[in-house]
Amino acid sequence: MRIAVAVVGALCAGAVLAQDAPKGSAERGKKLFVDLNCYSCHGTHGQGGGRGSEPPIPLGYPWAGFLQQLRKPRLDMPAYEEKLVSAQEVADLFAYFSSIKAAPAAKDIAKLRTF
Amino acid sequence: MTKARTTPSQAPEDESGLDRRGFLKGAAAAGAATAAAMTAATQIAQAAEAKPAQPEGEANMRGNAFVSRPGSDFMVDVIKSIGIDYISANPASSFRSLHESIVNYGGNKKPEFLTCMHEESSVAMAHGYAKAAGKPMAVLCHSSVGLQHASMAVYNAWVDRAPILMFAGNGVDAAKRRPGVEWTLCVQDPAALVRDFVKWDDQPGSLQHFAESTVRAYKMMMSPPQDPVLITLDIDLQEEPIHGEKLSIPKLSLSAPPQADARALREAAKMLVAAQNPVIVADRCVRSQEGVDALVKLAETLQCPVICNGSRMNFPSTHYLNLSESRPGLIRNADVILMLEVQDPFGTLHSMGDPWKDVRRAAKPDVKVIHITLADFLMKSNYQDFQRFQPVDLPISGDAQTSIAPLTEEVKRGLSSARAAELAGKADATKKRYRDMQERTKTAAALGWDASPVSTARLSAELWNAIRNENYCLAVSDRVAWPKRLWPTTKYHNMMGGSGAAGVGYSAPGAVGVALANRDKGILTVTLQPDGDMCYAPGVLWTAAHHKIPLLIVMFNNRGYVQEVMHLQRMAGLHRRDPKTAKVGTMIYDPEVDFAKLAQSFGVWGEGPISDPDKVGPALERGLKIVKGGAPALVDVVCQLR
Ligand code: HEC
Repeated sequence: MRIAVAVVGALCAGAVLAQDAPKGSAERGKKLFVDLNCYSCHGTHGQGGGRGSEPPIPLGYPWAGFLQQLRKPRLDMPAYEEKLVSAQEVADLFAYFSSIKAAPAAKDIAKLRTF
Repeated sequence: MTKARTTPSQAPEDESGLDRRGFLKGAAAAGAATAAAMTAATQIAQAAEAKPAQPEGEANMRGNAFVSRPGSDFMVDVIKSIGIDYISANPASSFRSLHESIVNYGGNKKPEFLTCMHEESSVAMAHGYAKAAGKPMAVLCHSSVGLQHASMAVYNAWVDRAPILMFAGNGVDAAKRRPGVEWTLCVQDPAALVRDFVKWDDQPGSLQHFAESTVRAYKMMMSPPQDPVLITLDIDLQEEPIHGEKLSIPKLSLSAPPQADARALREAAKMLVAAQNPVIVADRCVRSQEGVDALVKLAETLQCPVICNGSRMNFPSTHYLNLSESRPGLIRNADVILMLEVQDPFGTLHSMGDPWKDVRRAAKPDVKVIHITLADFLMKSNYQDFQRFQPVDLPISGDAQTSIAPLTEEVKRGLSSARAAELAGKADATKKRYRDMQERTKTAAALGWDASPVSTARLSAELWNAIRNENYCLAVSDRVAWPKRLWPTTKYHNMMGGSGAAGVGYSAPGAVGVALANRDKGILTVTLQPDGDMCYAPGVLWTAAHHKIPLLIVMFNNRGYVQEVMHLQRMAGLHRRDPKTAKVGTMIYDPEVDFAKLAQSFGVWGEGPISDPDKVGPALERGLKIVKGGAPALVDVVCQLR
């Protein structure tokens, strides 16, 4: 496990691109996101809920970083090990994250312009 | 302030033994042949009807005797004398005499009896009311079962520094307790249950003692740090007639709040004037608009950014020096931090990872900290709301609100014109920082704008747009983070903080109490109401309807105790076990609670559940119409989890 993490870290440092992700299904990922309760901290649209839990939407960083965050989170996020969330499932989650459309710009939302 | 008053002494009244045997004889004499089959109440009624009333003092048989001036009447005089407008209670036999005196002798005005359906609601209403009204109301409860129900809410108020005048009915004289229930309701030392989190308590043994202790309790409670107090109401003292004694009500005059020592303030001013990156952190600091205005003057004089922790509306969010949303950077770069009645100084300078509990320093190691607080004056051992010990460079005991103006004067005195010009030169950069912060916040609010269930940012934006032309108050402002981040606040009353001790069940009754205080001031009250909290004691909806307390309750309905979902996630991750099970025991669905119907069943206008974000705004408008007509309304919005 330690070695795996080191390898992922090294990959991450090498800025592996999203294309390197195993093929995932955004639809399955969406369901997993709720079943695994990711949405309780991140919101169904990745909008977050405080304590630094807002992932950049649309996903602005590579597959390896995503995998690393799940297997060995940076700070306080729970870890999701291989035996609980398979590589394929992580790929599905990644596909879902990548499919979330960017939010409209605040200036284009009338009810946010009132602030 | 109230003048001393003397109640005219009265001739002793009939106190003849109204025991069961005596009564039955009376009833028999009245020809009540079926006495044995009758309830005691009907017997009393019939016996009273059967004979013309005897003049007081003459009769010595049940049905002939009256108490026209019970001790509880005098208690009402005392309660009126200190200016209590409302008294909330779930009715209970141990204060039946006072209850009756409030209604009939006192005319049910100032104080007015508010019917509650749970003692926790009575106290939480008083808690919210105290913060919004700037004065306390009173609560009545049984000294055993009632106070047990009330105790969590008392603890919330204690932590939140909210004054409440608590009264607990109790029968001290065991020989006079009615057999059965009255015994289970009586207590040797009622206050023991809550003594760790009330400022003071007493068990008066005479009416004069009651008057003095109640006025003393009020005075103590209102001296900062403000907190609840408890007076026990002896049943016999309430129910027995006032004897011939001369009774007087002491004059109430409140103490001037303790202002910080002048030399210490001078030292603090020196440190602040010399600082390159000072920050002010304000927590339970202000109690009124006066405090807000004073803090604005201090911050402007120093051009010092302010972080408002949100337990009170300490500083306008519209002011460019309010950089609350930039907390991490401000704390990290600060060379001097002025804390104003901050509950958790350690937590301000550190964070702790969860679940590993690794302490992370959030501030420079050599940051200088000044703390103006009265925490040392009101600390008890048992309950740990005082937080982890944090050494401070310049600790100053004093009431923060009262000490801000003299501190500002010291700052002005210590400020050379060159330094004042330097500080003024910072303003443009701070204004830009403020604008950037606002933009970042709005961008974050746009994430998930069209999400269904509704995002909490969208919900908050919809609610703001519905009330933005009103003189508004958000009764509970810490359950959803967005209003504090987004909404313009300019007045103390705009946001009323939260429960204090995170004792769930505060939000609904707390909001009703805030709305009650605001009703009398013409301020429109809205609240974002978590579903889990509403399920504790929803009977407060009936109280709001019955007493015509206008309040727009917008359900932040995430169908769960979501904080706990996250804790279970953490534990499952830590224990290397299935993360999917975190919903077990934490989520509130299957079946889903229908809050609109719940509201309707209590006589409150209700609409929902609404999951489509576009339908929220129009529903809020409909609810507001009801509220402006003087009644409560509830709109149930199904939300994202956080
Ligand atoms: C208990 C709350 C919680 C849960 C549950 C959770 N996360 Fe996180 N997540 C966080 C926090 C907090 C962060 C910020 C970094 C950290 O703490 O490691 C984060 C960060 C992330 C990031 C990186 C964002 C960034 O800015 O670097 C991704 C991607 C992510 N989470 C995905 C997921 C997925 C997928 C799941 C479900 C399998 C999940 N999270 C479950 C709290 C949570």
